[in-house]
Amino acid sequence: MSDEHRTDRGGWPERVVDQYDRIRAARRRRAVGVVMLVGVVGFLFVQALSAVGMFGEEFNLSFFAESLRDFFPLTLYFGVIPFLDVAQYLAFISERQLLFDPDVGRLLLTDPVAFFVDELGVFSVFGQAGITLAMGLAGTILGFPLALLFGILGSERVTPFPLNFVFRGTMSAIRSIPALVWALILIPLAGLGPAAATLAIAIDTIGNLGRLFTDELEEISDGPIEAMETTGANRPQTITFGMLSQVTTPYIAWTLYIFEINVRIAVSLGVIGAGGLGQILDVQQGLFQFTNAMATLLCIFLLIITVELFSQRTRARLRADEEPMGLRELIVGLPRRLVESLSK
Amino acid sequence: MSRLIADGLTKEFGDTVALEDVSFEIPDGEFVVVLGVSGSGKSTLLRCLNGLTEPTSGAVRLDGESVTEPREDVAMIFQQHNIIDNMSAFSNALTGALHRSRYVESVLQLHASEEKYRALDALDTVGLLEEAQQKARRMSGGQQQRVGIARALVQRPNVLLADEPVASLDPGSAQQVMRYLRTAASDRDLTALISLHQVNLARKFGQRFIGLRDGRKVFDGYREEFTMDVIDEIYGDVDTEGMFARTDGDGGADKGRTRPSSDRSATGERTPAVGASEGADP
Repeated sequence: MSDEHRTDRGGWPERVVDQYDRIRAARRRRAVGVVMLVGVVGFLFVQALSAVGMFGEEFNLSFFAESLRDFFPLTLYFGVIPFLDVAQYLAFISERQLLFDPDVGRLLLTDPVAFFVDELGVFSVFGQAGITLAMGLAGTILGFPLALLFGILGSERVTPFPLNFVFRGTMSAIRSIPALVWALILIPLAGLGPAAATLAIAIDTIGNLGRLFTDELEEISDGPIEAMETTGANRPQTITFGMLSQVTTPYIAWTLYIFEINVRIAVSLGVIGAGGLGQILDVQQGLFQFTNAMATLLCIFLLIITVELFSQRTRARLRADEEPMGLRELIVGLPRRLVESLSK
Repeated sequence: MSRLIADGLTKEFGDTVALEDVSFEIPDGEFVVVLGVSGSGKSTLLRCLNGLTEPTSGAVRLDGESVTEPREDVAMIFQQHNIIDNMSAFSNALTGALHRSRYVESVLQLHASEEKYRALDALDTVGLLEEAQQKARRMSGGQQQRVGIARALVQRPNVLLADEPVASLDPGSAQQVMRYLRTAASDRDLTALISLHQVNLARKFGQRFIGLRDGRKVFDGYREEFTMDVIDEIYGDVDTEGMFARTDGDGGADKGRTRPSSDRSATGERTPAVGASEGADP
């Protein structure tokens, strides 16, 4: 039967037709596989939705819309045009010093030495946002050395197989406890405040950044490692020059990424009472001052976006294989680059 | 300045035999080219010679000592150069001195200034002194390979091994790199073993030739014995025509070291075409 079939197909050579059939069969098998996979994922999705009560819940859209109105106060501009009352936001932001602390700021102009040395005001000049940012930054820097140590020792290329799991296991254990819980665990040590939050972020960084470091080491190529071995280098030298030199750029990039995340964590730790913007947000929510809460959210948005922009620009420049821009070009050329990227 | 002996080297990877009973002896200071098509066992042979790969049977001896792991007096140059992209040419050359420096010293680059002069001198040997501060990843393929040679020289080896050092380079850079290798080996009196697959380059720069085919040694001899028939035997059915493409270099690296009999091969026997034999006498 199959022979007749073949002659039906325009008299192509038998070998070509055979190969065609094999490819068709393979494609059919793959299609069946994809359909089955989609089916399984869909089934699991429905089960998960049911488990979280998504089907039984009654959604109250009108109540939700009403509560949103408190977030966005309206006022009449020029007595006629109704629009968002931005002044209310600005009043709260300046009253509670969310973005700027005028006392410290004045110091910068009158007595710069006192600003930098006595007050250590680089972060506190940014008010509550500065505290949140400082938690994220200090936590990242505190956690970095141990993340580096554990990350490197956790790699199978550095530590032989069963031993590296001591370090991998430690990092997994750290990761299994959320930063929020670490902050609660640390309350007896430092009380509930920015200090405990910073330590919690540092511990969290060891687990997360260390894991990224370990993974990155799995990606490196053997060539430079072998090359270092042939030069007669000892083991630590081979690790440093053959392995770590291949990952310096990604390590810096990952650290910046974790810094971004840590600032976000600092916000959420504030919500449980560790200070900074998060705490303001929580208090205002609790007082049902939704306009103030929204003002705080705007500041959080501003802070996070700024940090992400900074981190992503730096990472992009690290990855791009070109001479880094000078500071002057970075600032002077900014409008031109903005226009260029918008016109793309 | 060493006598390198391969004694019955055999290497099997599972069922495939990469090397089969290869033996030879290289006296002090010879410049040897190992020839063969891809998969003929050249790389395995070189990796066995410096202890990166352990032979299934047989042994490598250097001045009577057996070689079982990488050692500082045997330097290796790789096809993919394997220099460190993120570091400057100078820092890369300095890594050749790792075995003579302590850890902290090497990481902070606090080597004795003698070592730093040596690294710069090696870069000078390969014509990269001016580019010493340039990042390796910004260099061309040929320059990167020359940094690899500089690193090997800083190691102060007795034996220089190079595994297809010019395979991924364009013909111009390939000649240049080969020339630098030849000069470096003769200036410093190194025993050198270079694997190549281009016959013209081999003829131009080689002093002695070892031919591998399917993991077996099919030829071992000097310039005058390295005839067209030998090449046919090494390369089998592979058309070697393209490998004699005329090259534009002057072949000057052979100066002073070329054996007096170097163009005797041009007299009676079939010899490889123009580019190669011309290059042999500048």
